Amino acid sequence: MSRVIRTTVLSVLGLFWLIPVYLLVVNASKSPEAFSSKDSWLPADFALFDNISEAMRLSGMAESAASTLLYSVVSPALAVLVGAAAGFAIVALRLRHGFAWFVVIFGGTVFPLQMILLPLMDSYTRIEVFDTQLGMIIVYTAISIPFSAFVMRNFFTGIANNVFEAAVLDGASTWRIFSRVYLPMAKSALVAVFILQATFIWNDFLLGLVLSQSDSVRPIMTSLSGMQSTYGGAQMSVVLAGGLLVSLPTVVLFLFTQKFFARGLALGQY
Amino acid sequence: MTSEKTPTAKSARRRDPYRRSAAGFIAPGVLLVAVLLYLPLLWTTFLSFTEYNGLGDPEWIAFDNYVEMFDDPEFLGSVFNTLLWVLGTLLVPVGIGLGIALLTWNLKGGSWLRLPFLIPYALSGIGVGVIWSFVLSGDGALDQALAAFGVTDTPRWLVDAPLNTVVMILATAWQGVGVNALLFTIGLQSIPKEPLEAARMDGANGFRLFRSILWPMLRPLTAVVVGLSIVASLKTFDIVQGMTKGGPGRDSETLALTMYKESFVNTEYGLGAAIAVFLTVVTLVASILYLRQQLSSKHGG
Repeated sequence: MSRVIRTTVLSVLGLFWLIPVYLLVVNASKSPEAFSSKDSWLPADFALFDNISEAMRLSGMAESAASTLLYSVVSPALAVLVGAAAGFAIVALRLRHGFAWFVVIFGGTVFPLQMILLPLMDSYTRIEVFDTQLGMIIVYTAISIPFSAFVMRNFFTGIANNVFEAAVLDGASTWRIFSRVYLPMAKSALVAVFILQATFIWNDFLLGLVLSQSDSVRPIMTSLSGMQSTYGGAQMSVVLAGGLLVSLPTVVLFLFTQKFFARGLALGQY
Repeated sequence: MTSEKTPTAKSARRRDPYRRSAAGFIAPGVLLVAVLLYLPLLWTTFLSFTEYNGLGDPEWIAFDNYVEMFDDPEFLGSVFNTLLWVLGTLLVPVGIGLGIALLTWNLKGGSWLRLPFLIPYALSGIGVGVIWSFVLSGDGALDQALAAFGVTDTPRWLVDAPLNTVVMILATAWQGVGVNALLFTIGLQSIPKEPLEAARMDGANGFRLFRSILWPMLRPLTAVVVGLSIVASLKTFDIVQGMTKGGPGRDSETLALTMYKESFVNTEYGLGAAIAVFLTVVTLVASILYLRQQLSSKHGG
């Protein structure tokens, strides 16, 4: 097919793809007075920022946004470190039965989350971390580890072994080799995994729904969903503004780090 | 791969103390995964053979939950919907994704033209649900657009079953096309140039080129995309909970949603656990295709 036809087809399809985004932005910008469910396609006034602050006020969204930010920075950071340490042990330190241990860690990613929800809720309540930020950070870290270990092991497999030998000859300690040689070399892979997992955690709904209750602990998607079922009608524009607000961070992050995303996905697939 | 000779006995001995410290490096990962993923997994399996509502002790009832599950027409409806999800998300987003990857391949400005499809991918299931609930509600944006073309007798998109499941699958497809396109693009870029040029010299173009060269070379990647897509669709929860809550009644429930409702709404923990086990078995069977691909490509370590 000629380039012109391909470009045209893609442009038309691309515009078509953006229609829902257009509808979201236009209607999230209407003030509750100007909002009419009968007229969705045309813009009216511009009250996006009022709607956003109203959304934050109505649903405790400001508090849950702060918590979610905490979870999606701390948990993936811990997980990439733990995953990198595991990959380092298997590949560079040649841990005995390394592949078996790898399968043990990676196996954690195979099961649906549904399999861990009941016992987690039950035991979280017993040890009193239910509805706490600590509890959320722990569970998000744990579920991010398998993928992180998978990518980091693959990445370290590509590093020549004489890098390790040279550091040994210099008499560096294991910890030093890990933190000063291997981690810095893996920077791009670490960032790629971090971004993928941060996005995943920011977008989580199910764990938040089961393991938290209060506005200050509840992740943002759970807040938004609660808001969607509580408010509607004239306040639809406020709900849409909330939807736009929680989507912005991941979309912006994604667009600016597409390269890392693609790399993370590629590292994860091969 | 390195070109160095096999390590001498001396360097192997030098390695020993390092090897001993390996346990410490792998321990945090193994411990966290064991305590937060594997232990709960075993406990859920145990619960699936019990009657338990969260109070008192679980009471052993062997396979009763499983029998009850398969006797329930609502559960079978949920299995049907889940199959519809698997089929739909396989055909639509994987197919369109491949199409977009092929169209943008070697095209000037291709990465820009791919961008509109990638934006929805960064949205959450809940975000997608908020947008599409608005579009599909009675007299919503879609109905208004259709009315402009004179179509007024529209179905109730999110109420009539199984139409509600179908439109939610399409909403998910809207979100998922971009990532499939990106993955197929990575695959296309990794195809070596020589066989392509040879085929072009032989006059292969368009569909023939695709069928005889591109498609076979994309096969490993297709297995991954298909595997990922099946596994993800089996676990469909967010978008359905966000858009219809499984309703009306229980018409649009998926397995993941039925599990959630039985466990956390009806506090039938034993039954909820049995559904989780069933979902897991199905997911594992579906994952074998995908895992074989992943683990065989880089074995050892």
